[in-house]
Amino acid sequence: MRQNADQITVFKARTILTMDPNRPEATHVAVKNGHILAVGGADCADQWGTVTHDERFADQVLMPGLIEGHAHMMAGIIWNFFYAGFHDRMDPQGKWWKGKPDLATVVADLKDIEKTLPEGAPLVGWGLDPIFFTGERLSKKHLDAISTTRPVVIMYANFHLMGVNSKALEMVGYDRHTNAEGVVKGADGTPTGELQEMAAMFPLMRRCGIDFRQMTKTEDAIRTYAEVCRRTGVTTATDLYAQLEDEDVARLLKVTSEKSFPIRLVPALGVAGTNPAESAELALRYKAKSTERLRLGSVKLMTDGSIQGWTARVKWPGYVGGQPNGIWNMSPEEIHAMVDAMQAAGVQMNIHTNGDEASAVTLEAIARAARRHPWRDARHILQHAQMMGVDQFERCRDLGVCVNIFSNHIWYYGDQHAALTIGDDRAQRMDALRSALDSGVHATIHSDAPVTPLNPLFTAWCAVNRQTMSGRTLGDAQRVSVMEALHAITLGAAYTMHMDSEIGSIETGKRADFAVLGDNPLAVDPTALKDIPVLGTILGGEVHLA
Amino acid sequence: MSLPRLPLTVLGGYLGAGKTTLLNRLLSEDHGQRIMVMVNDFGAINIDASLIAAASSDTLTLSNGCVCCTMGADLFMAMGDALDRRPRPDHLVIEASGVADPAKIADAARTEPEMSYGGIAVVVDALNWPALADDPLIGAQLQDQVRVADMLLVSKTDGTIADGLAQRLTALTPAPQIDLSMAPEVAPLLLSGILPRPASPKTAPHPAYVGWSHDSDQRFSRASLFEKLTQAPANLYRIKGRVLGLDAPGWEIHRVGTQVDIKRCETPRTQLVALGPAAGLTRQDIENWWAA
Repeated sequence: MRQNADQITVFKARTILTMDPNRPEATHVAVKNGHILAVGGADCADQWGTVTHDERFADQVLMPGLIEGHAHMMAGIIWNFFYAGFHDRMDPQGKWWKGKPDLATVVADLKDIEKTLPEGAPLVGWGLDPIFFTGERLSKKHLDAISTTRPVVIMYANFHLMGVNSKALEMVGYDRHTNAEGVVKGADGTPTGELQEMAAMFPLMRRCGIDFRQMTKTEDAIRTYAEVCRRTGVTTATDLYAQLEDEDVARLLKVTSEKSFPIRLVPALGVAGTNPAESAELALRYKAKSTERLRLGSVKLMTDGSIQGWTARVKWPGYVGGQPNGIWNMSPEEIHAMVDAMQAAGVQMNIHTNGDEASAVTLEAIARAARRHPWRDARHILQHAQMMGVDQFERCRDLGVCVNIFSNHIWYYGDQHAALTIGDDRAQRMDALRSALDSGVHATIHSDAPVTPLNPLFTAWCAVNRQTMSGRTLGDAQRVSVMEALHAITLGAAYTMHMDSEIGSIETGKRADFAVLGDNPLAVDPTALKDIPVLGTILGGEVHLA
Repeated sequence: MSLPRLPLTVLGGYLGAGKTTLLNRLLSEDHGQRIMVMVNDFGAINIDASLIAAASSDTLTLSNGCVCCTMGADLFMAMGDALDRRPRPDHLVIEASGVADPAKIADAARTEPEMSYGGIAVVVDALNWPALADDPLIGAQLQDQVRVADMLLVSKTDGTIADGLAQRLTALTPAPQIDLSMAPEVAPLLLSGILPRPASPKTAPHPAYVGWSHDSDQRFSRASLFEKLTQAPANLYRIKGRVLGLDAPGWEIHRVGTQVDIKRCETPRTQLVALGPAAGLTRQDIENWWAA
């Protein structure tokens, strides 16, 4: 339903959670010109003129539109491939795909899909996570049962591995003579069908049209990402390593300005390995092109790898399995140079830091840059921040640095972290939102979709309950209240994006961005937070039902 | 497959080691090859303006047929672009980032059927490497780069590689150590297309290198060929060509340092070329090895 510009619409809801301490709850919110005109009861906007009442959400709960501070546009377009993951998962069209509890189910489900494909076309799946399976590893034997005439390629959830069938191996000529580390061989000396890392996967991706770079450079990628967001109540989302050239910015401007586009998109320009001064200039040039629904200007830096891949840079005593310390994707020297250039130019940084050594080096770089180019409200964000303790959070507060904590890891990988990566006692204090908030750090929490599914209410559930897949509570001391978790996915996130003057709470003057929920997150049992139905969103007063 | 395979050489080494200087030399030398060089950032690429035929924000085209481009964030997609380029370049050289593991890139030359292995050259900065290699944060990564190298190119020497450095490097890898200040040309070091092609006689190797070529109808099984190549003289660090097969029509081979890459191919003859530094290698050594 379109509104006239000057029309006043008063939405009625069962409850409106405002996140505004002046009026934590209300029943009505008045919207004019895409902004919140008033909050309160049925008569809240009467003094402003004639109003139209909209009661279609009278039985629902409204919250500020949810904010995802760390996800990737790939989370939408990845559904062009067939889902083969362990957990149930919803696609951009709202269809739920059943999780696959074992290899037999993966094979049976993909067999059905195989029958629907044109002759010779590759069957490409994604999302398989063998960490959850017991018994045999995926091999060409399983995938040959799906087809022997077309290539079958299943990408793993981490995108670092894939399983392929014999036809696919034949396509790239992998055999007993292939002498490359990533082409795994079995006891019989032939490739098993498991391919590890890009060098081994790339020849097959090239021949099967698996081109992530090209896929994200489409209008479809932008629209499907927005759909994923809309279905989880998200009205503002980042794309946290955007490859941007002028044509990409033009495409983003076109699609995000369409009336029906349901989110505010916040791409962070990827700058790892680039020239710092040139990238800072580019970020500022793009920032000037920002619109109401496209917010450009921040950048993304890499530092270390991942904890579950044993590539994060961790402090002593390192990994419990004795693995060597992880790797730097940007060296500490490059981190210092990039941080200094961005701070000098006034460009906000999102900095990937998983391990505690990576966050320590990064904080030192920011502290040094801050002495040279003071900028107290830069609001740089340490992304993932998984092993930071109180000492580092105190430093964040002193430096005005924000954190975006990877709370979804607690459920998805918490058991593995305790058993296999950093050991039980450090696992209990990882993703420490409680400590961050207690230190006075501005914090949000995230999914890193498509690595884990985008769904802020689920992420909030993780931060509140800290439950792992095995059912254990991992680090009771780091649990937060439901209210604190909701703040993290609304106003807390808005602050980190310099958008708290516009979004993040339902209060007069802000943009009319709401999530429409089937239940009140403060009224349900905290363990049911993730199960609250999302009916859709309202963006700038426009209703987008899921 | 109608197009010749694209040889890939990966150039590794830490920031400031001298990779860009080396690439500037490579692009300017008179080697007669259409090389494509991929770098992260070509701000530091410094080619004589008279050699530049065209320049855009991400590609420099040189009048000698070479191209220098930035790879963007997706190195492997950029590799695909190089393969799809027509005419296909004679050689692809990728500058790995300062902390990258060059082996993870070079492995693509073993897996991709349309590429061949041109080796990993790692630039070692004689002045700074010893301290950097002990750095608690990045030392292990820099030592790993040296471990996977097929050839070490030592920069910033005063005419000799100091014994201490040479010993440290030898402890990590048997790869040859070449003093860049003493290398008259770098193209023979980095390219496996090292011997004159019939069309460009001016690319004969410099006297500092010993070249060898072979033409016969000898046939090999894959296993016997592999064994032969692994027994080649240590200093003969580049061998390439096509060999008639016993168990297949033919084998395309590349040996770089100690790394041997063998892929199936069609060939009318057994034809090989090889090259190594004149210091410590004679043509007779090569003949003896082949005859053995």
